[in-house]
Order: sequence, then C-alpha cells, then structure tokens
Amino acid sequence: MLVYGFINSLILALIALGFSMTFGISRVANFAHGAFYVLGGLLTWLFLRKAGMPYFVAAILAVLIMGILGALMYRFLLQRLRGLELSEVIATFAVGLMILELMRCFGVMGFQYRLPAFVRGSVSVFGTYVGIQRLIIVGAGLVLLILLYLFVHHTKLGLAFRGVAQDDHTAYTVGINPDKVSMLSLTLGAMIVSLAAILILPLGTISVDDGYDILLKSLAVCIIGGLESTLGVLVASFILGYAEILTVMYISASLSMVVPLLCMLIILLIRPSGLFGKYKELEERI
Amino acid sequence: MKKRILYVFVSLIVAFCWTFPLSAMAAEKPIVVGVPSSLKTLEASEALKAITMAVEEINANGGVQVGDKKRPMEIASIDTRGGEPGVPIADALLAIEKLFLEKKPDAVVLGPFRSEVLLAAMDIYSKYKMVSINVAMTPKFVSKYKGDPEKYKYCFRMLNAKYVVGYLIKTFSKLKKDYGFNNVYIIVQDVLWANAIGKGMKGWFEKAGWKVAGLDSYPTGASDFSASLIKAHKAGSHVIMPIFDMASSGTLALQWKDMRVPALPVGFISPLMGSKAAETFGADVVDGVVNIVFEAGNIPLAKYEPATRFFDAYKKRWGEELQAGHMPSEAYDSVFVLAKAIERAGTLDQDQLIKAIQETDYAGCIGRIRFKDHEIIFGENPLEKSILVIYQWKDGKRVPVFPASIAEGPISKPKWMK
Repeated sequence: MLVYGFINSLILALIALGFSMTFGISRVANFAHGAFYVLGGLLTWLFLRKAGMPYFVAAILAVLIMGILGALMYRFLLQRLRGLELSEVIATFAVGLMILELMRCFGVMGFQYRLPAFVRGSVSVFGTYVGIQRLIIVGAGLVLLILLYLFVHHTKLGLAFRGVAQDDHTAYTVGINPDKVSMLSLTLGAMIVSLAAILILPLGTISVDDGYDILLKSLAVCIIGGLESTLGVLVASFILGYAEILTVMYISASLSMVVPLLCMLIILLIRPSGLFGKYKELEERI
Repeated sequence: MKKRILYVFVSLIVAFCWTFPLSAMAAEKPIVVGVPSSLKTLEASEALKAITMAVEEINANGGVQVGDKKRPMEIASIDTRGGEPGVPIADALLAIEKLFLEKKPDAVVLGPFRSEVLLAAMDIYSKYKMVSINVAMTPKFVSKYKGDPEKYKYCFRMLNAKYVVGYLIKTFSKLKKDYGFNNVYIIVQDVLWANAIGKGMKGWFEKAGWKVAGLDSYPTGASDFSASLIKAHKAGSHVIMPIFDMASSGTLALQWKDMRVPALPVGFISPLMGSKAAETFGADVVDGVVNIVFEAGNIPLAKYEPATRFFDAYKKRWGEELQAGHMPSEAYDSVFVLAKAIERAGTLDQDQLIKAIQETDYAGCIGRIRFKDHEIIFGENPLEKSILVIYQWKDGKRVPVFPASIAEGPISKPKWMK
C-alpha cells in the first residue's frame, strides 16, 4: 500500500505539474489541460502506430506539437482575453471540450488506442511487485521536478518566468515581455502534460473521458496544494494519492473518486489559497 | 435493323421487369428503425454497424412484407451519450425524445445500454407507444415490466444479467471441482448491472462454500486497482472475478500481471474481449484470462455456424473484426426479429406487433430466439435457446470453453499457476 500510494502520488504530481506551472507564471487556469493530456497521448499513438515512427521520435514530435498548440492557444486566444479571468477559464474550457469531443466525433474509441510500455515486466519493491513502467514514471517524475527547479532558478528564461510570476508590470520595466513569457508558460505546460501522458498512458488505454478526469484531478491537486506552488502540488499529490488508496483499502472503492473532491472542498473552506498558495493570502488575512 | 430494334425492346422490357420490384419498394414509405444509444462507445458503435448490415440485407431481399406491400427499412439513429461517464440520465432521455419527435421511428432497436437510462426510458417508450427491443441487462427491467405490464408492454429486452450469473456459477463450480479453487475476490464497476452480478455472485459463493475475500465496486473511470489486488493477494484468493465494461478496466489486467497476483481472472473485462486484445495488451498479459462474451456471434464459434457467419460478414462489410463482447450480434438479430414480427403481424399497429414479437421463434446468430416476459430466454445450446459464451485466452487466441455445446476446449489452469 505504501509503495502504490507513493507511485500514485507521483503520477498525480506529474499530471498536475503543467497546470500549476502555467497558472503560477501566467495566471491562466488552463482548463484544456486534460484535453492536452489525451491529445498528446493520441498524437504519440498516431505517430507510432500509423506513421510507423520509432517510439522516442513519436514522443518527441508529439510533445513539440503540443507545445506549439499551447503557444498558439495563448497567442490567438488568451492574449486577447488577458485580465478577464472568467473569460480565460471559459475559453480554455471550450478549447478542451472542442478537442475532446472532436476526438470522440472522429471515432477515438475502443481499446486499441494504447501506448506500449517502455519496458515490460515487474520487480519487487519492499516485497510488493511493481510494473517497471510505474518505476519509470516515478523516476521520470522526480527528474522532471528537479529539472524544472533548476530551469526556473538557474536559467535566464526561468528567472524571467519567476519575475513575471511575481509581478508582470515590474517585470515589464526590466525588459521582460510578460506576454512572451506567458506564452512560453502555456507551451511548457502543454509539453509537460503531454510528457506525463506518454509516461502514464501505457498503464491503461487512451480514452477521451480521461480528459475530464485529468482536469478534475489536476484542479484538485492544485487547489489543495495552492494553485501556483510546485511544492504544494507535490504535497497535495501525496495527500490525495494516499487518501485514495486508503479509502479503497479501508472504506470503499466506490468512494475513491469522491476523495479528491472532498479534500478540495475542505481545503477551500479552511484555506482558500491552498496549503502553500499565496494567491489569496491577503484576502484570507482580511 | 429490325433485329436490333427487337433486341433493344426486349432489353428494355427485361430491365424494367428487373428493376420494377426495387423501384416499387423504393416508392413505399420506409419502416423507420430508431437507434437511440450511446453511439460513441465501442459496443454501441459496432452494434449500429451490425444493425446497418441487417437493414442492408433485408432491403437487398426486397424489404419487409407489410400486408400486401414490401417496404424498405431505414435507420434513424441518435447519440444519447448515456453510456459516457458523467452524462446525466436526463440528457440521454432528451435525446431519445428528440429522435421520437423528429424522426418518428416505427420501432426501436438497441436502445440505451446503461441500465439506469433504460429503466427511465421505459416510461418514454410507453408515452410514445414505441415498440422497442433493447439490450441493457439490468435485472430490474423484468420487475419494472411486471409491475405494470400494460404500461410497459412496448418494451422488449434481449439479455438479462441473471443469465450471466448463471453461466458464471457453472464456470466457478467447474473450477472448484477441477482445481479445488474456493477463494474469490470480486471487483466490479459501480453501475447497476455490474453491481447486481457482483452481489448475486457473492450470495452464491457464500452458499456454495467459497470464501469471498472481498467485494470492491469501482466508479466508472477508475484506473488504479492496486488496493483490491493487494487485498486479493494477501487473502490468498484463487480467483478474481472482475465485471467491467469501461475502457480503463484494461489497467486491471495490466496491474494484475505486473503485481504477479497468483489468482485467475474469471469474469468480464471489456477491453480484453476482442480479438485485438492480445496484440494491444500483450499475449502474456491476457494468457489464461477467462472472459464472458454476452452473446454468441460476437465471437466466432466453430460449432455454431450462424455465429461465425455473422462474425465473418461483419469483417467483410466493415473491413475489420468486431471487438465488442456485448451488443453487435444481438442488435443484428433484433432487426430480423422486428422485421419478421412486422411480416407476421402484417401491420405496424403496436398491439399486433407486440403480440407478434412475443411469438418470435427465430434462429439467429446468438442462437434460437424466443421471448418470455418480454425478454429472450437464454440456455446452453444455440439450437434450443440463445447463448452466451465463456472463453479463455490461450496462446493469444480466444478458445470457447462454455457451454459444452460450443466448447472447443476445457478451462485450463494457466502455466503460471502452481
């Protein structure tokens, strides 16, 4: 249980990381996040199965395309709506719905839409057998978190990201273009969630309905942890990951999907900015 | 010259005589077959293709004889989305009413397959006096029908979950007798029909001397089953009984394999149903898994030719094998049941049509079709009654193992089981 709780927690973190990062920098709550996840997985599947590309090339190409899609969504849609938070949410949600429902419309259904595992088989971890793919997810998730930390804290672009995240007007005065940085944050968010899809989807099949589920889980993780806090994402993922597995283990499996929503509600009631969020801290104090 | 004119004249007459019956049929008002279902799911989309095949066959043979006229059949379908997670039942019902009001079908086949939607839709069928042959398996269909037979006389149904339970009971009895299995862990989807099977089986297991190590009910869309598998492993279960018709249940099989749970899955996992499952998930993952196909025809049967004929015809018509384990073959047969009932009744009058459907005795690809209490009677010999099929994955192939009338081999203990 401890082992699977840990793995499930990192899977949740990986899913929510892109959403949190995008919001943290650009303040855009990308409600197309779940759709990007499914589309990223589907593109990889298409390149792999239909175009016959090697797995690695298919994955890289899919991640790049998703990055471009994220950039285009910002440039041609969100840039015009900057500052209108509700409109941004509605617009991204509409893009997500459009992507998912178009996939459904074009017949993305059935069980053949499945990405193969990178490595088949399982190994014993503390006496519990775990699929190697899950261990790859754990490793890749940790590496991604470290790389992101290094990128944000030790590169010029990363520092620009932080600058805009702290105050976009001030960032502007020192020559950082907030629009460009926000566009890049959407790009990076889309690329991260696509990468997450490529890592996680070999555990099951690609399903359009996953898009809604991923969005819901990302929202739950980010709201609990604090919308813009990477540390919060990590902590919230562990809270939810273990809460879910404990619920199935000791209460009822049918309540497992209620857990994220319940945790989200409780946090919203007692600390609206989340465990590590600062977005509404001032309002909370007042 | 005269000869040439004669040839042309004769040719014209022949051409006229040959095309006349078809053009006469085309001139007749078509019989509109309504297909309201969650069509963007694998099962219903393949069922719609099967219905299309049936309608094409009927029309190619001149249509349906209604009194002294041959009338073509026509399909009017609508995607109710009722089978997708999170879609409210009310939305699915609205879609059904929209179909009834706009396309004015003469009868309905397939219908909503999610139990909760069908039970609610039965009232809409009554409101519009719409004769329907449905596929949802909910056991509550019968009790609702029997509660007010006059009101719900328009509703027929192909398969009852009780038959699935019956087949599973016989399979588990055999497993106990042959291999001494007596410890089971039940994992089902949190929907009406799957819960009913899970609870029904739990009751039987307990009476039959099995130890039920647990019964977990997962919400639609769940994708981590490790907690149940850990519990099954700890409890020393010999068998896991999964009942799922959701895409993410493929994860259950993969997790079961990865976690090396030494228990044999015997039940219904829809992603492992089709012939492509071995390729999609890996032959080693599916090896040994015992799955239940809800109707013959959705799997070819060497010992029952109509099932194989339908399976092959589907592949020929659509260019690929059908993958669903539930719906396509019964949807195909239901069109013929309807057409033949209309011909016997000689009219589309609802009361006469209902009576004619009740009197159905038709050899379909799912077996011999007869109705009792407005639903088909299932048995174990396709020449006598309709049948389900239990098969086992062996070396990447699906081998029918039950019922005995169509079995092509016994249930084998997989190599990895000690």
